[in-house]
Parts: sequence; C-alpha cells; structure tokens
Amino acid sequence: MIGNVIKYERDNIDTDVIIPGTYLKIHDYNELATHAMEGLDPDFPSKVKDGDFIVAGKNFGCGSSREHAPIALSTCGIKAVIATSFARIFYRNSVDGAFLLPIEIDDETYQKISNSDKLEINIEKNEIKNITKNEIYTMKPFSEIIAKIIAAGGLFKYKK
Amino acid sequence: MTETLFEKIWNSHIVVEKENEPSLIYIDRHLIHEVTSPQAFDGLRANHRDVRRRDLTVATIDHNVPTTDRSLPMIDETSSTQIKTLEKNCKDFGIKLFGINDPNQGIVHVIGPQLGITLPGSTIVCGDSHTSTQGAFGAFAFGIGTSEVEHTLATQTLWLEKPKTFEILATGKRKNSFAITSKDIILSIIKQIGTDGGTGHVLEYRGDAITDLSMEQRMTICNMSIEAGSRAGLIAPDEKTYDYLNNRMYTPKNYDDLVDDWKKNLMSDANSKFDKSFTIDVEKIEPQVSWGTNPAMVSDVTGKIPTPEDFGQNNEIQIESAKKALLYMDLKPDTPIIEIPIDRVFIGSCTNARLEDLKDAAEIVKGKTVNSDVGAIVVPGSQMVKLEAEKLGLDKIFKDANFEWRESGCSMCLGMNPDILKPGERCASTSNRNFEGRQGSGGRTHLVSPVMAAASAIAGHFVDVREWC
Repeated sequence: MIGNVIKYERDNIDTDVIIPGTYLKIHDYNELATHAMEGLDPDFPSKVKDGDFIVAGKNFGCGSSREHAPIALSTCGIKAVIATSFARIFYRNSVDGAFLLPIEIDDETYQKISNSDKLEINIEKNEIKNITKNEIYTMKPFSEIIAKIIAAGGLFKYKK
Repeated sequence: MTETLFEKIWNSHIVVEKENEPSLIYIDRHLIHEVTSPQAFDGLRANHRDVRRRDLTVATIDHNVPTTDRSLPMIDETSSTQIKTLEKNCKDFGIKLFGINDPNQGIVHVIGPQLGITLPGSTIVCGDSHTSTQGAFGAFAFGIGTSEVEHTLATQTLWLEKPKTFEILATGKRKNSFAITSKDIILSIIKQIGTDGGTGHVLEYRGDAITDLSMEQRMTICNMSIEAGSRAGLIAPDEKTYDYLNNRMYTPKNYDDLVDDWKKNLMSDANSKFDKSFTIDVEKIEPQVSWGTNPAMVSDVTGKIPTPEDFGQNNEIQIESAKKALLYMDLKPDTPIIEIPIDRVFIGSCTNARLEDLKDAAEIVKGKTVNSDVGAIVVPGSQMVKLEAEKLGLDKIFKDANFEWRESGCSMCLGMNPDILKPGERCASTSNRNFEGRQGSGGRTHLVSPVMAAASAIAGHFVDVREWC
C-alpha cells in the first residue's frame, strides 16, 4: 500500500473536528466526505488524494463514537491513519467497517515522517518504508483480534 | 484468586474464550438512538438478519430533537428524516422506542438509569461514547460504533479484547460539598491523568469520597471516564444504588433476590490487583473551569490561564497544542479565570442535566437575574427530569431569572439541533467536551459544574461559586 502523507502535528484530534456534529444527519457517504476534517482543516477534501495517509500524534479519534469519522476519511480516499496512539472506539470503528487501517508508530518515527512524504505500508512485515527519505520504520503490530478482523475484511466477515 | 469488580462482570459474561483470541461477550442491555443506528439497521436488512433480543433493546431520540415547542413541525428536514428513520426501524424490528412525544423521552444515558434499564453487574452498550455514565451502577457500560451496534442487534454479543483495570482512589472530604461537585472531581482527575491516561483500561472509582456521592453525582463522574480515554468507568454498587433502582419501570420482579446476590458479589475483592492506580485527595479540589480545547486543559477557578510553556512542561507537542488552544479560545496567558466574560450559558447534557443538577443550579439562581449580556438555557436531561423539576417549581425560578426552560435532549452539548453557539461566542457549559467547534463552528466552550454555570450566568463572567453559598 503506497500513498502520500498529510501530516497534522497535533495530539487529541477528536471526532468532532474530523466530522462536526451537524453533519451526523447525513447518510450519503460522498456528501459526508465533503465535510471531512472541516473542524481542523477545511481544505482537506480538496487536497486529499485517493490512497493518502494521515499522520498525527497521540489519542487520534478521541471523543464521540460516531462511525461517520472513519467513513468520511475513507470516502475521501484515506487508506490509513498513522498515529502514536488511538482512542479505542475510533480504532475499532476503522477496523470493524474495514474503512481504513489505524497504524500505531512510536514518537521517533512520528518525528521522522514529514508532510507529503511517500510511504509504503507493509502490514505483513509490520514495516513502513519512507520512499521519499529512503528510511524504514517499524509499526506496532496489530493484536491478534484486530489482525483477524482486518484479514477478514471487517467485523461481520470475521468468524462468519 | 482475587478479582476486581470489572473482572467479575467480564468473567460472568464470557460466551467464548480462547487463548490469544478475543472473547465473545454477552450483552445484557442495548440502548439505541437515532444518530448511530441507521446504517446498522440497513445492514440487518441487507443480510436478512433479525434483532436477536428485542426485549433487551430499547431506543430513544435525543441528539436531533428540538428543545423548543414540539407541537410545531420540525424545521430541519435532515433531522426529521433521521428521527423518522429510527421510528420506522423500531416499528419494523419490534423495538421499544421512547419517541419524541413520549413522557419518558430523554438523553439515552439519563433515561437508562431512570427507567431501571441499567442494572448492577450487567453489560450495557450503546452507539454513544457516554454510555460510560451507567457504570455508576456497577455495570460494564461502554460506547460502541455502528458496526458493533449491528453486531449486537444481530447476536446480542460482541468480540472484545479484555481491557486492563485502573483504580482511581478518591480520598478525603470536599471542603464545600455544595460548591465543589462531582464535576470538579472528574475534571481534576482528567487534568492529572490526561485525555489518554485511561486508554485501554476500565476505571474503577473507589474510596470514601466516591461512596459519599449520590447516584446522580456518581453518574457525572462515570460519564466523563471516556474523556480520559478509558473504555469505561464504574463504581461498586451500594445501598444508594439499590434504592435508586427500586420500583422503576424496568426493575426486575425478583429485584430483592438480585440485590441479595449483588451484595455478596459486586465489589472488588480485598487486595485485588489493578493494572494501574491513581489517588486524588478531594479536600484539595476547587471549582474547576476548562480553558482549552480538550478536557484536560482545566484550571482551578482561582487560577490564571497558563502559559503554553507552563502547561506543556518541556513537551513540544503539548506546548504547541496549548498555543493553538489559546488562539482558538481567544485567551491570553496570565488572565485570571474570574475575569473571563461569557456570552452564553448551557445547563444540560448527559453529564449534568439530572434533577439534582437543576436543583443546585436553581439554588444559586433563585431571586437573581441573568446578566443582560448573557443568553442562558436550561435543558433537562429527560422529560421525567423536566416534570419533576416543574413540580418543585424550578422552571419558575429559572424563567424568572431570564433563563430559557427547554424540552429535553442533547441540545447544545454537540450542536446537532438548532441550539448552537455562533462563531466566537464563549459559553459556560455543564457538558463534557470543549473540543473546537463542538457546540457550533467557532464556538468556545468552558466546561464547568451546574452551580458554576448558574453563578457565571448571573455575573456575566466566571466566579468562584464558593463565595455565593
């Protein structure tokens, strides 16, 4: 999986800024996507490209349980969020609906990745290759359950 | 082997357990609201599945509802559609719905306990992060996403990784038990352990300072467990818990037998081991006011806005986040909290809109008038709370003081209905999240207790409510 980085040097990016409450009434995924990250970066939907990754600090996706958050990012084309830690509900929502991959990295790796870097993520090897900088990082492996849900393609396909 | 309360609840709900695998956990109660359920019902239909235990599933409408006159048609068409969708889903699948005009309608986490749906020792889920509120009754209650809502509807179970345990020991006695509330206790805890301090853990609040609290105060504490990143928060049940749940609509018929059983089992064993522990002395706690854009950015009311450097303590990311927060909040370091003027006051939300919250706020407001520069509303947590408050004449006290007295719902906590801040407006709010734009795009939220919100409404700026009582 190869994509370019959109980096937000912030901790605690909450689901209210990923998709503000007023849009939770919207059922159409494409319409939701036009408001992705509106609370933090209103230009996001116009600059994001299919296959991009978001990189951010700790506790990504904290706050409300709205599954609209990973849906909005995924519909925009985001394939993975790479962060130093995640809030649990966002993490599970991302995996359960097979919307995007939540990938945990350490602080050092977080510092090394810059905005617009091209990365290749290899989840079999737990490895992130920074093609722009020609560096290789280790990602935190998924736990057994998460790896299985991801491999199955979401919660409902898991153990079917 | 000793077990914590959480471990006892977890172990008694395991359906499938294998080493290095997730556990399949039985869910005793599933609460539903209009925002996180539509796609779950669509999923059931698409896969020709039914609701497995409609008798354990209860729905209400809270996020979208207008808090003004409900006999009028709804102006917002998309809200109206979402509400009608839940009505149809509940009808099609045979689920009990406390609908928009039902006397038991209210915020889902307020009506769960009020109707006796919440029970000690049970597992409770809802597609809403503040489900943790119901942990106050000694339940494992936690928020889930829509895929998990669908899974619960279809199977009444969930695949879960076992969380770790985290003891929060609260000792001492509050110096002023009216002015210093459970909201101040939980804000102080989050200030110290951080917004991710509880990640991967279930918090158990223990100690004399917790057992001293009423059930409604305990709910405020457990409600905000999620703001510390934790999976859930809970408090061992006691006589107060059992009294509260007696004779409610859903209270089981064999309640006395259940209570006998709970009294024997529902506590952490002596010397049980927690993965983490944190102690707080409540005697040192002052009224709290948040100044930033997450619930750990909090100050004593007698304090000042910190400099980013003081807040960040050499952590670059923290310093940067404080700078951004101050910019968003339009605040300058070293400003005394009590000099910050406010435009709006919101007394409501699943954190602080129960009867005791309204009673305490009314005590402050009685005979006074809201500052002419401030717009203030009270939104009871449920229609039942509203009715009880009106029986006590609280509505009159608030209205005489120029507060608006509204119908129940989530309202200005998250800005899904017309109750929102305008860009730049500053609000003293009894809700749970001060995130950017949470109460409306560009709105600035300060989290406080109901008595602090009430006193600030009168003064037009933050005040130390201890001087008012």
